[in-house]
Amino acid sequence: MTSDETRGDDPGMREIELLREEAEAALAGAGSSADLEEARVNLLGRKGRLTALLQGIKDLPPDKKRMVGMQANLLKDWLEKALEERGEELRRRELDAELRAEKVDVTLPGRHLPFGTRHLVSAIIEEIEDIFIGMGYRVAEGPEVELDYYNFEALNTPHWHPSKSLQDTFYVDASASGREDVLLRTHTSPVQIRVMEATTPPLYVIAPGKAYRHDVPDATHSPMFHQVEGLAVDEGITLGDLKGTLEHFARRMFGEDRAVRFRPHFFPFTEPSAEVDVSCVICGGEGCRVCKGTGWLEILGAGMVDPNVFGYVGYDTEKFSGFAFGMGVERIAMLKYGIPDIRYLFDNDLRFLAQF
Amino acid sequence: MRVSLEWLKDYVDIDLDPQELAERLTMAGTAVEGVERLGGGLEGLLVGRVLEVRPHPDADRLSVCKVDFGGQGVEIVCGAPNVRPGMLAPVAPPGVRLPDGSAIGEVTIRGVSSHGMLLSERELGISDEAAGIMELEGDLEPGASLARALEIEDTVLVLEITPNRPDCLCMLGIAREVSALTGAPLRKPSFVLREIDPPAAEDVLVEILDPDLCSRYCARLIEGLTIGASPWWMRRRLRAAGVRPINNVVDITNYVMLELGQPLHAFDYELVTDGHIIVRRASAGERMVTLDGVERALSTDELLICDPKGPVALAGVMGGEHTEINAGTTRVLLESAHFDPANIMRTSRTLGLSSEASYRFERGVDPSGCARAADRAAFLMDELAGGKVRRGVVDARAREISSSRLTLRVERAARFIGIPLREQDARAILESLELKVKESRCGEQGTVLEVEVPTFRPDLEREIDLVEEIARIYGYDRVPSTLPSSAHKVGMLTPGQKCRREAARVLAGLGLSEAVTVSFISERWLDRLDPSRAVFPEDPVRLRNPLSEDGAVLRPSLLPGLLEALRFNVNRRLSDVSLFEMGRAFLPLAGEAQPREPLLVACAMTGNWVPKQWDGAAQPVDFFTVKGVLERLAAALHVPGLTLVREELPFLHPSQSCRVRVGEASAGYLGLLHPRVCDEVDLPRNTAVMEIEFAPLEEAREEPYYREVPRHPALHMDLAVVVGEEVDAEELEEAIREAGGELLYEVRLFDLYRGEQLGEGKKSLAFNLVFCAMDRTLTDEEARKYFDRIVKALGAGFGARLRA
Repeated sequence: MTSDETRGDDPGMREIELLREEAEAALAGAGSSADLEEARVNLLGRKGRLTALLQGIKDLPPDKKRMVGMQANLLKDWLEKALEERGEELRRRELDAELRAEKVDVTLPGRHLPFGTRHLVSAIIEEIEDIFIGMGYRVAEGPEVELDYYNFEALNTPHWHPSKSLQDTFYVDASASGREDVLLRTHTSPVQIRVMEATTPPLYVIAPGKAYRHDVPDATHSPMFHQVEGLAVDEGITLGDLKGTLEHFARRMFGEDRAVRFRPHFFPFTEPSAEVDVSCVICGGEGCRVCKGTGWLEILGAGMVDPNVFGYVGYDTEKFSGFAFGMGVERIAMLKYGIPDIRYLFDNDLRFLAQF
Repeated sequence: MRVSLEWLKDYVDIDLDPQELAERLTMAGTAVEGVERLGGGLEGLLVGRVLEVRPHPDADRLSVCKVDFGGQGVEIVCGAPNVRPGMLAPVAPPGVRLPDGSAIGEVTIRGVSSHGMLLSERELGISDEAAGIMELEGDLEPGASLARALEIEDTVLVLEITPNRPDCLCMLGIAREVSALTGAPLRKPSFVLREIDPPAAEDVLVEILDPDLCSRYCARLIEGLTIGASPWWMRRRLRAAGVRPINNVVDITNYVMLELGQPLHAFDYELVTDGHIIVRRASAGERMVTLDGVERALSTDELLICDPKGPVALAGVMGGEHTEINAGTTRVLLESAHFDPANIMRTSRTLGLSSEASYRFERGVDPSGCARAADRAAFLMDELAGGKVRRGVVDARAREISSSRLTLRVERAARFIGIPLREQDARAILESLELKVKESRCGEQGTVLEVEVPTFRPDLEREIDLVEEIARIYGYDRVPSTLPSSAHKVGMLTPGQKCRREAARVLAGLGLSEAVTVSFISERWLDRLDPSRAVFPEDPVRLRNPLSEDGAVLRPSLLPGLLEALRFNVNRRLSDVSLFEMGRAFLPLAGEAQPREPLLVACAMTGNWVPKQWDGAAQPVDFFTVKGVLERLAAALHVPGLTLVREELPFLHPSQSCRVRVGEASAGYLGLLHPRVCDEVDLPRNTAVMEIEFAPLEEAREEPYYREVPRHPALHMDLAVVVGEEVDAEELEEAIREAGGELLYEVRLFDLYRGEQLGEGKKSLAFNLVFCAMDRTLTDEEARKYFDRIVKALGAGFGARLRA
């Protein structure tokens, strides 16, 4: 049996065929979800033509009922599925068109969100702290207004030492308490004495903080600056331990490929003493303006704690030995980040602060 | 200290090139700050002999010289007054350049052609002497290289000598270091002194009246001297060392000081009354004129060298003008003494006068070396100035000088440094430095060396000082790097330190940048902020010697520094500035030497908090910006008990000024800066500040503890009430919470409205209320019951009515 025959045979079947053709055209012709909905209502709505056809099946003669009923239901199933598919496609297309209409200039700046920075000096102090915490150190603090005893005497500095003069050290007016030996600490080293007075070895501490010297500000001097002091006291501490500790520190701070050297030097409170250099961060050791052609940058002073210092705090020099070191935070900042003038660090110019 | 290598090689052979030597010295503690090459730029200059001199036919001041500089004599026109036949002088032939870069050509001067130029010392760039051409000495060949003839090609090491090493402030001391480092033997200057009778003691008397300040005074008498210029080699060496040549006698005293480290002084004997030297303290108000022509008023702290009539020298610092060596001097009283280092330092500092001599005396001169240095200078005065040396040294000693003895435990030294060290290694190092190992014994402590320390090493007082010498000469670079092996190391931050780091991070995250400002401020700031000193101490901590009045006070608050930082930025057209600082303030404590140093955290904000953006308006800083910062900070640090209480502070806007409390205690303040202050310091009116002390904040921290999160749906209801202006939002919120009971999970104020329809003096506040129960889903009726209860409570308590 051919469809022509079927169509020719029966007006019911012909109508089904007609509806199918119409439905196909309506689906293809629907340009929007609304068009499609209209087509659906037209065919499958309460008063839709397919709905009407389906409702009319019950009145057909029995011999046609089966055939037409089957065909009509097949058409309905097909139509519902086709409507859904076509609808999905139209919705996708419509959404896409909608989104494309929402075009923005993605190169406009992002929304302003609060943005502040840590001060470079604080950031470097934290970095130093973290390196030493990793090596088993704790962080100690001490007063900035100090007594001569802690700043000089107990650090084995002779009473006539030139650094104690009014040209080198800020003195604090403590006349109300009747004293003349009150000063702004000239280094963070007095914290060594305070820590040792308060505790017994073994001890491993670093002490960051402000220090003051009677210097007129210029590109390399500031009357206020920051230091980080270090102190390790234990049984059997050696000069080699000092070397190893500071080499580790210098490489973590300045880069694993940095060379480190220890030069003998003199400080009243350590013996033997050393100045520690790293290979120049600018030229890598070739020699340049920053390292004055030497290839080396001095970054800290260090040494084995002088037995006289242990004497002041009552440590047994036969049992314990130790090392101490001190470094200038601003100097490290200036070397590491190429800052030409120490005063820039205390201007607090936002254009400077925001860089770090 | 400047060390000529040409000179240094008199005392020790050096095989290293200058850079290597500099490296070795640096790594042994004598830092080389620079390596200078001398005598550069003399290439092509020659030694010339003046054969004939005739006047220039057409110029009175010029002469025409025939000069031989290898080959035929050529004619050179010269204007120097000292040119004479037979003299040797430096010549620049045509075509060479002088050290200053100028080129010498063939020129015709007033009709006479000149084939080169005879040169002065200034033209050679070796001194300022320009009065005549330089006269060369010795047996020199005309035509020889001038640079070689002058032996001027030299290398100078510029050394940094640490204050503990006075022995290194002389050539011999540096030579000793080089010898110890290279193993080359040390050659001390050797000479045979010729003396004549009668003994010097017949004409020289020395008395030390203040032996605490002068332990030894040696004097020699030299006669028959002829004052003149020193030989070239000595002048050259002095110049290389940075000392200006003066005349032979003075130069010899300087030369020996540089050679042996002992400062010397030469007096014109005829001007020292009775040849009688008295070493005593100055009397109060005593005056003398020093060599530099300055009259100085003295005190009893200064030590003088006097004759019976008065002062002839400021001991150890500078000679007196009156007894200065002059062109007619024939007899010299030579001083070689030892003075107390601390006293010389004090004198030098008090008078603002320092010299090569004081520099050395301050650090400590070898008291055993006085006589030897006097001998050496006397010998050179004989050799170079025709002097006859009277027999003997007049040697006044206030006390005996003895060398000290130290013990060194070799194994202990090895352990302390962290190196293997045998007895013979230790011994070799010590002996290379002229320390004598007197005895070696073995006992419980291992090998112990008894070491005699020479008097030129006053820094070696203890065993540890010997350990340092071992480490230094052994070489720090050879010490193996290790880490402390102790297990007793636990690295960590205290909770307080962690809290501070967190606070800084939170503030930076909120958009404030950290500032670091200087701890000293001008007292004007306190007068400006707080004229009646209601908040800041009446008598702040002051410096005795500030750099200027602008930094005479130690800050009692971080505010002045932060406001200055704001102004710094605003003045540079950076108008939106939010800064914070964490640091110490200084508050005087009655009866205590040291002030209290609380750690503070402060914020200062001005301009816009959020700047104008391309799709949004700017949000200017106001009271609530800084309040928000504080609330965020408190929340992040888990400080629940932080409250603001209205209180008028002198530097804050009277109606936007609060005290910050933690519990009942004050921790600081917060508010809008008083417009008066803003105007005075040129800041915009919308400048907000806060400052709180860290310690109470830290103490009030509470570890967060789990609070149940609702699992059943919550009901959100909005409540808008109209109340009088006098009612505080905080009071309302508290009342809401109380009336809302347990089921009220959250209250948030979201709107504040004022308008005509509300009536004069009225405002509307709208709250979002969240009701929920932990064990069930609340019904509307239940929530409504509590809502009504809240409305009723607000009505009863504040006359609040629901907003229509």
